[in-house]
Amino acid sequence: MLRIHLEHALADFALSVDLQCRYPTTALYGPSGAGKTTLLHIIAGLLRPDRGEISVGDDVLFSSQRGIDQPPEARGIGYVFQRDLLFPHLSVERNLRYGYDLLPSTARRFAIHQIVELLEIGSLLKRSPAHLSGGERQRVALGRALLSSPRLLLMDEPLAALDQGLKSRIIPYLRHIRTELEIPMLYVSHSVAEILELTGQVIMLDRGQVLAHGDFFRIATEPGVLPLLGEHGFENVLQVELLESPSGAGFSRARCGAQELKIPHVEQPVGQRIFIGLRADDIILSRRSPDGLSIRNALRGPIAQIAPVEEGAYLVYVDVGRRIAAKITGEALGELALEEGQEVFCLIKTNALRLGPRVD
Amino acid sequence: MLSPEEWDVLSLSLRVALGCVAITLPPAVALGWLLARRDFPFKVLLDGLCHLPLVLPPVVTGYLLLLLFGRRGPLGPTLDALGIALAFDWKGAVIASAVVAFPLVLRSVRLSIEEIDPQLERAARTLGASKWRTFCTITLPLSLPGLLVGALLAFARSLGEFGATITFVSNIAGQTRTLPAAIYTYLNQPDGEAAAARLVVVSVAIALAALVASEWASRRMRRS
Repeated sequence: MLRIHLEHALADFALSVDLQCRYPTTALYGPSGAGKTTLLHIIAGLLRPDRGEISVGDDVLFSSQRGIDQPPEARGIGYVFQRDLLFPHLSVERNLRYGYDLLPSTARRFAIHQIVELLEIGSLLKRSPAHLSGGERQRVALGRALLSSPRLLLMDEPLAALDQGLKSRIIPYLRHIRTELEIPMLYVSHSVAEILELTGQVIMLDRGQVLAHGDFFRIATEPGVLPLLGEHGFENVLQVELLESPSGAGFSRARCGAQELKIPHVEQPVGQRIFIGLRADDIILSRRSPDGLSIRNALRGPIAQIAPVEEGAYLVYVDVGRRIAAKITGEALGELALEEGQEVFCLIKTNALRLGPRVD
Repeated sequence: MLSPEEWDVLSLSLRVALGCVAITLPPAVALGWLLARRDFPFKVLLDGLCHLPLVLPPVVTGYLLLLLFGRRGPLGPTLDALGIALAFDWKGAVIASAVVAFPLVLRSVRLSIEEIDPQLERAARTLGASKWRTFCTITLPLSLPGLLVGALLAFARSLGEFGATITFVSNIAGQTRTLPAAIYTYLNQPDGEAAAARLVVVSVAIALAALVASEWASRRMRRS
């Protein structure tokens, strides 16, 4: 378990963090300039905080009070940087071996061939980093960090420099690392989609402060967190139970209260309960049952409450077994003559539903 | 070809030039790293002091060395006790040209270290390398092109050194008479012009060879 308690003054705000990470994979989310990279540098020992204490398990890495400050090489913390930072004068193989060779053989947790196979970089070993593509470089950087047998892996937006296509090809490797190698990870990203591919445990950091920490689908709707998420945020979180995942259909059927939803396809056992995220903007309200529409989902329920949120916009809360919020314009509200207690249909495109982690 | 006396001049000059390269590189690497990677009080002053020989007339540098290392200078007795004689000795010529060449080497090494991404060094630390190992396995190999250019500059500057050397250790045949001093001496002799001309050709040939060699080496380094 990683324990962080520290204060560190930065140019325009102070980093003030008090955290305990219990989960093997935790994401650190925040806008750029929130202090995420600074926090990782401090954990890795590349930057000394003004005061505080950092420990992994029983091992105190830093303590201003007790005068402990382990150098980075003694901390056993792997770091995958935003840029791959491969050593340009060494071959891929020697890059991979850099940290590995420094360890006594008893301290090595993985064999080189194991990591090479996992990351599928066997054909690159003899090459120079200059002759690799962006995705290959980042995989080698990942392998290099893993082979130094870290007890904790810090990842600072390792995919940020890659284009969308490459990102989606690297993420499965990260999942392998998480599940097969069982290395605890602290994963920095400002992409919610990327985070949710890996974990549901999120630390929200803004201007040096931890706003929230916990299951993303529990904290995402908190008023302090929602604005931070911007277009990645959603006002609604539903718990659904998986009914069926027909192969090749492109969707799965799930039960939400007494009603049914078609959600994006998931590979989970039937009966598994998962979180679903849904933006208030993505819900269309209709007074009639939909007919001749491509839309797959129509949840029915009475309007529980209508509340103005901003200039000309309203949140309409509908009780579909659980309250969900739909955002509509004042004009639409008038035209549909919506009022509290009235039965409406919430129309939701399958692809507007975001899959969250399993409910354990 | 060359007379035995002229061969002596050539071999002495090469010895002094290689000696100059050997004793300037290590401190230039240490200081270059310090200036490129660390901030400390009086850094500007230290930087200025190191570059002083570049702007001082070489004769002044030679005179200051004489004051410093001479028998009555502050370092004289120490050198005496160690049994090191610099005055009128080729080792003195090495010191003189090293001091004059040092700023050139330092500059080249410092620039090449500044060009290395410090994040690479941080990455090495997180992979388990100590500061010293990081320096030896990352910083030093990556600054090799700069070191090579520095070595060439020191070599060339030493071959051409005249003012500081002649002031500090004089112009003694077989001891401190390097190429420029020999050419100067021959030109002042009634029948020395032919000998001077031969040494001029030798000087040009060595300088050219050094340039070609360093170009070849830096190309090889860039390719690998």
